[in-house]
Amino acid sequence: MTKDRAASLLFLLTGFYGFFFSVQLPMGRWNEPGPGVFPITLSGLLLLSGAAWFIRGKRRAGETAEGEKAGWYAIVRNFSTPIKIVVLTALLILAFNRVGYLVGSSLYLFALLFWVSRYRLIYSIGIAVVIGVGSWYFFAKVLAVQLPAGLLSF
Amino acid sequence: MDVFGNLASGFQTALTLQNVYLCFIGCLWGTMVGVLPGIGPLAGITLLIPVTFGLDATGAIIMLAGIYYGAMYGGSTTSILMNVPGESASVVTCLDGYQMTLKGRGGAALFIAAWGSWVGGTLSIVGLMVLAPTLANFAMKFGPPEMFSVLLIAFILLGSLGSGSFFRTMPMVFLGLLIGTIGMDPLTGSLRFTHNVTDLYDGIGLLPVAMGAMGIGEILIATEESLLRVIHKVKLRELWPTRDELRASWAPIFRGSGIGFVIGLLPGSAHILSSFVSYMAEKRLAKRPEEFGRGRIEGVAGPESANNAATGSAMIPFLSLGIPTGPAPAVMMIALLIHGITPGPLFISKHPDVFWGLIASMYIGNVMLIVLNLPLVGIFISLLRIPFRILFPVILLICLVGTYSVNTSTFELGVLLSFGVLGYFIRKIKYDMAPLILATIIGPTMELSLRQSLMRSDGSFSIFWESPITMTLIAVSILLLVWNVYRGLRPTKASWEKALEEGK
Repeated sequence: MTKDRAASLLFLLTGFYGFFFSVQLPMGRWNEPGPGVFPITLSGLLLLSGAAWFIRGKRRAGETAEGEKAGWYAIVRNFSTPIKIVVLTALLILAFNRVGYLVGSSLYLFALLFWVSRYRLIYSIGIAVVIGVGSWYFFAKVLAVQLPAGLLSF
Repeated sequence: MDVFGNLASGFQTALTLQNVYLCFIGCLWGTMVGVLPGIGPLAGITLLIPVTFGLDATGAIIMLAGIYYGAMYGGSTTSILMNVPGESASVVTCLDGYQMTLKGRGGAALFIAAWGSWVGGTLSIVGLMVLAPTLANFAMKFGPPEMFSVLLIAFILLGSLGSGSFFRTMPMVFLGLLIGTIGMDPLTGSLRFTHNVTDLYDGIGLLPVAMGAMGIGEILIATEESLLRVIHKVKLRELWPTRDELRASWAPIFRGSGIGFVIGLLPGSAHILSSFVSYMAEKRLAKRPEEFGRGRIEGVAGPESANNAATGSAMIPFLSLGIPTGPAPAVMMIALLIHGITPGPLFISKHPDVFWGLIASMYIGNVMLIVLNLPLVGIFISLLRIPFRILFPVILLICLVGTYSVNTSTFELGVLLSFGVLGYFIRKIKYDMAPLILATIIGPTMELSLRQSLMRSDGSFSIFWESPITMTLIAVSILLLVWNVYRGLRPTKASWEKALEEGK
């Protein structure tokens, strides 16, 4: 799949989504345009752009050299680190209010340092605790940012 | 009050101990994010937004603007010494700057880059100081049709001048405008794309969108790359350029400042474009253009002056019209909105202390940056020794706290992560995220002005031909649109040759 074709899928999907939900909105009249007019126009333009890039992407796939393709093998090979980061961040977000900032951020940092950055266990624990506690003090005490207490009472 | 009187009161505001400190912090952080590859000025600004919550609006904008222009100074350092652009506007500086380092003239290149940045930055502040109030006064006459026309031409210019092609940029603009429609319709109160999620009733949070798309997206990409860092050391005495180098630099510095100032007014990646245009202009004017790319001082002086001049002029449309022309001014606009201040035609008259305080702080900041970037260059370079595998978890944590602290909402953290993933995907397929962010921010104003215009004209589009301003803007927009469509669709020389060969 070419990069342009990947982009076209994004435009087509969002275009269809926008179109499907825009038609359910009131369109109004020319002298009083309703809330659906602007989104439906944009959805139409997105669908048009998506279709154009889909066709163009197909033509280009046959025409161009290997190097111009999306390089899915390279993407999958490089994908492991970003996906680990996304999964860990999603877990932190889900648990943020329950476990609180201090515990949550320290565990998050530990997981990133140990699993993604591949630091040794003892280093990962040390750095995570120092940065976790330090950042909590800076944000909660110095900048007075409201952070969830969670498991701890502070 | 005249310009000088206003400026004097601005200096009174900017020279308070707190604001000098904030300006210094902004410039310092800006230089740091400029030096560190993988963190641009945009990520640098978004990361410090939470820090501004406890400050007044003047202090907040002084600090954030310091990051913006400070990053332009810092970006040249790694370009010259390591052949690694600290931020995108310094890509061109690598060409001749690094070659000068290899020849043992890296110190002189750093000096000229800093000096050019100072001249470009200072001249653009003079322009900002004179032009912004004039433009704001003019824009006060704007009604919804004029505002719609200005925004229309801004988006078409964004498509024409952005880092991608017109046909690649415009879908990103449409996507951003569509995202901007999420939430309650301001005219009728209808809910759009909210799916009964109460967090979306007020629209999608601009900060998580910008911070996710640019900050998290940038980090996800950066974790894929490993940089081979070869640092050339520069001694203080090597900073002084020779008389010939100084003589060769002054004209490119002034030309670059002019080019940067004009291009900075246009929407798109102005600071990147300005440095490229300046480099091309210097190459074209040179007696021996073949020497460019082999260590010509003009190849450093012009682009570095241009990208700094562009940062000052990019503030003009943002402060006087409320139209950010790039992602960094857009994020600064979000910060001002969080502080209850809306940039636009009334901004300067309603908040003169903020505007003139900012202008004065920019003069002060430019002087601070000269000091930070010349004698202390070694300290900034040593920042590159901090392993990125420690740095990125800290940056991620700051992004999360920054987003959470606005509304103490974990939903917004979800938006942050989703836009981070989207930003990563968009970068992978070589599209530009900046138009999407700009469109998300400006989109609601554009829709509102279009609908208000049609309501005022009883549904007639002729309202856009009634005033000379709208007529000119719409006509130029149509011409630009036609030109871009023609340019994108016309057969290229290569395709003609291929067709002819197939026909043989």
